Amino acid sequence: MSAVFLGVRHHSPACARLVERTIGELRPAQVLIEGPAEMNGRLDELLLGHELPVAVFSHYRDEERAATSWAPLCDYSPEWVALRAGRAAGAEVRFIDLPAWHPAFAERTNRYADAEARYAEATERLCRHFAVDSSDALWDRLFEVEPAEGLTERLDAYFALVRGDAEADAGDRARETYMAAWVRAAVDAAGDRPVLVVTGGFHQPALRALAGSGEPGGSGDDWERGEDGWPRVPAPPDGAMAGSFLVPYSFRQLDAFAGYQSGMPSPGYYQRVWEAGPEAAADGLLRVVVERLRARKFPVSTADLIAARSLAQGLTALRGHPRPARIDVLDGLAGALITDDLDRPLPWTGRDTMTAGAHPAVVEMVAACGGDRTGRLHPGTPAPPLVHDVAAQLAGLALDGGPEATYRLDLTDAAGLERSRTLHRLRVLGIPGHVRTAGPAHGVDPVFTERWEARSVAGREAALVEAGAYGATLAEAAAVALTERTRAGSAEADHLAGALFDAVLCGTDGLSDQLLGELATRVRELPMPGPLGEVLATALGLWRHDRVFGMARGPLLGTVIDGSTERLLWLLEGARGSSGVDLPRLRAVVAVRDAVLHAPELLSLARETAAGIAWRIAGDPEAPIDLRGAAFGLRRSLGQVPGAAGDPAEAVRTVARAGTDALGDWLAGLFALARDEVTGAVGSDDGEGAESLIDVLDGLVCALPDDEFLSGLPALRQAFAFFPPRERDRIAGRLLERRGVRGSSRSLLRTTADPLLIARARALEESVSRLLDRYELEATP
Amino acid sequence: MTERDEIRGEAPDGDAAPVQRPPAEVRYAEELAALRADDRDPSPPGWELSLRAARRFIIGDVETGISRKFVGNPSLVDRALVTLATSRGLMLVGEPGTAKSLLSELIAAAVSGDSTLTVQGGAATTEDQIKYGWNYALLVAEGPSTRSLVPAPMLRGMAEGRLVRFEEITRCPLEVQDSLLSLLSERVVAIPELTGPDGMVFARQGFNVIATANTRDRGVNEMSAALKRRFNFETVFPIPDLDTELALVEAEVTTLLRRSGVEPPPDRDVLEVLVGTFRELRSGSGERSGSGAGPDRPSAVMSTAEAVSVAHAVGVRGWFLRGEPGSAADVVACLAGTAAKDSPEDLARLRRYLEQQVPHRRGPQWKALHDARHLLAD
Repeated sequence: MSAVFLGVRHHSPACARLVERTIGELRPAQVLIEGPAEMNGRLDELLLGHELPVAVFSHYRDEERAATSWAPLCDYSPEWVALRAGRAAGAEVRFIDLPAWHPAFAERTNRYADAEARYAEATERLCRHFAVDSSDALWDRLFEVEPAEGLTERLDAYFALVRGDAEADAGDRARETYMAAWVRAAVDAAGDRPVLVVTGGFHQPALRALAGSGEPGGSGDDWERGEDGWPRVPAPPDGAMAGSFLVPYSFRQLDAFAGYQSGMPSPGYYQRVWEAGPEAAADGLLRVVVERLRARKFPVSTADLIAARSLAQGLTALRGHPRPARIDVLDGLAGALITDDLDRPLPWTGRDTMTAGAHPAVVEMVAACGGDRTGRLHPGTPAPPLVHDVAAQLAGLALDGGPEATYRLDLTDAAGLERSRTLHRLRVLGIPGHVRTAGPAHGVDPVFTERWEARSVAGREAALVEAGAYGATLAEAAAVALTERTRAGSAEADHLAGALFDAVLCGTDGLSDQLLGELATRVRELPMPGPLGEVLATALGLWRHDRVFGMARGPLLGTVIDGSTERLLWLLEGARGSSGVDLPRLRAVVAVRDAVLHAPELLSLARETAAGIAWRIAGDPEAPIDLRGAAFGLRRSLGQVPGAAGDPAEAVRTVARAGTDALGDWLAGLFALARDEVTGAVGSDDGEGAESLIDVLDGLVCALPDDEFLSGLPALRQAFAFFPPRERDRIAGRLLERRGVRGSSRSLLRTTADPLLIARARALEESVSRLLDRYELEATP
Repeated sequence: MTERDEIRGEAPDGDAAPVQRPPAEVRYAEELAALRADDRDPSPPGWELSLRAARRFIIGDVETGISRKFVGNPSLVDRALVTLATSRGLMLVGEPGTAKSLLSELIAAAVSGDSTLTVQGGAATTEDQIKYGWNYALLVAEGPSTRSLVPAPMLRGMAEGRLVRFEEITRCPLEVQDSLLSLLSERVVAIPELTGPDGMVFARQGFNVIATANTRDRGVNEMSAALKRRFNFETVFPIPDLDTELALVEAEVTTLLRRSGVEPPPDRDVLEVLVGTFRELRSGSGERSGSGAGPDRPSAVMSTAEAVSVAHAVGVRGWFLRGEPGSAADVVACLAGTAAKDSPEDLARLRRYLEQQVPHRRGPQWKALHDARHLLAD
């Protein structure tokens, strides 16, 4: 008897129901499921009685690559139902796919992601034909809301079309060949009784062809069978570490809106569909969204509710859905509740992830669809490898000293650093048990010791099992947790700097490409130059000088430095507006200068490009005046030979025409960047320009009318505040010299009162004497 | 998109000179007739077509030969049509050039068979232009009567049970906007000057309002909450995917160039660079989060229609200056003139984009664009 092939979509309630029904009708002897074959000996573990969702977590590490992947299962997963119902019906149940560490899965972190998403051409054509927005909407329309009759035929037709002539990639081909070998073995084993094969629909047409064509006993590319007559499960290469374990999973992790490589979105919604059907799920969604919005004080009137419901019903009818689909309800709610223009299209009209700044109603709708269920493993489940790894590490580093222990760690000492990293990784993973009471707060404070105190370990075991989903070793798990935190967080510098410094504290061995990539992406999204400049300055400082955390010249900081330099230049050229001096922004320009001068090998942008940008900012009349001065200085310090237009003296004259305030602000920018070039050069080759800048300034200031001088004084003083006392002293000396006065330049700088107070007194005096003048009351001596 | 419609426009009769742009119900009269003939689904009261037929008219249907007229998310059209079948009005908001007016015209043509009941909003719009005015000669001669009354689109739409389009509603003074309130909730207009049954005009089935508002003008934020409540809002976005937009631009430009006497079709690579540039500038340099978008977005309209006109200029320039299709250098030159209009701000944005973002793009056409950045006149 030949096999019965059921092509399903992972996480589809309709397919799950079909699997359940088919097993009931067919009573198969063998049920084969797309799932990691190395778990076959441990299927009992899966059926211990967990609260779903759970996932089979697989990890792999050899000298060249490290990979982790998940095969998530929830109540309505067809694979899960096949496992459960197959066992209940007395069938032999087996997973038949390659192990997750196999190269066929390289780059794939979710076994149950939609395979067809990688071959999107056919689904796009179908979307156009049925006039729907996305493949998810298409799927709902064709399968989830339709009655069960004829579902198998529709699924077959759909997947035949999706697979079509698509040339599967090498990974998919290897998996299909392997699964076909299992099918043949199962057909042999089952004799006259039926065999049911439950796999992703995308593989089903190929599998059917492969399993039918190969002669029993094995052809050339067939997989070798073991002594038991089943295909051998490939073993990881020598020296590699690989394994699969059960870990708890959550709907949030499953939801397409919260990540990539996922399958069906909105697990919370489809859980309701599975439990109670589409009508109840639609009602439930409407209710939950309204409750959530009202809890957030977002006004939802009864009229809105009526409108949402009638819109949803109208959409269901218009689209020809026999029962309400997910997007009918969401569209109805969006139509009735949103009375603004949106910045982004509604997330369910495409496959977009949610972005910050989405409309609050949209955020709540997506959250309500996603659900907040988290799985829990049966207590009898073998603990994931992380639990053992942590226990071994804590014991090895003598960090398991009991509830009263405190640890003082010297970070300059290798052992101390290692212990600190371990504790920080636990902290990043949110494992209770230790609290840091003192230690460095960011990358630049000169603190090299840490103090940790042991605390209550309540909930520790559960937290570790949960964190087991992030990785097999502590370092790996911490890196994945940090990556997720970076991805999910808002685009704010504080958040990013926090994540970055945590990565520094956790050490280099856990760094992953994903984390680096995510940091680089997020850095490019920061909107404000000031905070971004701080991130850059800190990262650059650590990259150049760090001797403690082992981060100097490392890739982590390199990524951030490149990304933030580029982003900063972009932001700076676009800066507009306000007068006055924006010190954080000036510091950001300084950070850019340092990056270009001291870390050119990290940057993807050439020094000339940076100088060109600086030049354009300096000459842009719309740019803030302090920034123009800073850009002028940046260009000079990047060593691009200034032409006639690059002469600071000339530039100062031009700026001075715009007023004394502008002059002060411009100088503040210049001095923040290129102080050395201006004064340090006295007497050197470049002395000419430098001398004349001070002279020109002196001339300009002396020529100012008194009231203008007084009004511009604060800005000028702020500009010269960038000079340390010694240099100010030298400038003062130079001014005395110019006037031919002998005397101490120091006494010029040390006045008995605040110079601004003196200035104000002078202003007052002046206005008094003007008043006296006006009324001709000037006293005669 | 509007260009294409102009091109299709044919004279309704052979005698007079062709009308420049006949309304949608005339341009697509045959399709509408075919849809009406085939319509098996129930229509909402007062509608000429069923919801599904109206949807097919707008989104297109290959099998029955109905052309696709609106390139955008089909679900938007679904929501818009269902809204109009309920008691709320429909408010289409979005950037200029996102085909809001085209969509409202198509919907009105499908639902009422008439897209001409239109109020054009503006600073000078008064209630007379919305509800009714008077023929003063008759008013003086005969006193107020149905004869001396001059009905405006809203009154006609209510009396005849048809859709009324209100273009650029946010450009009207707030008081004038609010005159729609009673009309939309009570669905009746009182004409106090007339007595008896003529003094009250009740809306017939089929009446509803489609308003459009431009986010670049005074936004919808200033609308009164009471009026907002009576509308369902739909934001119309620029064409979401590059290929669709590229194909549309290519089709339009090819036609335009042929009419301008330019022989070679536009170069696909050059169009890709142009449309890509428009898309990135439009979205505020392709950032993932919305936060950084504000100040980076140009004030000029970077719509698909504008891309078509720039591409047209590029082709004309290339052909008549050098006898070849337009190049990436022409794109830069034309962008400076056409898209950046007169705003030095936009010019600076464009320069910043060419200098800093374009070098990251791969491909010779992008490199050519970057190399031509000096053509951006100061």
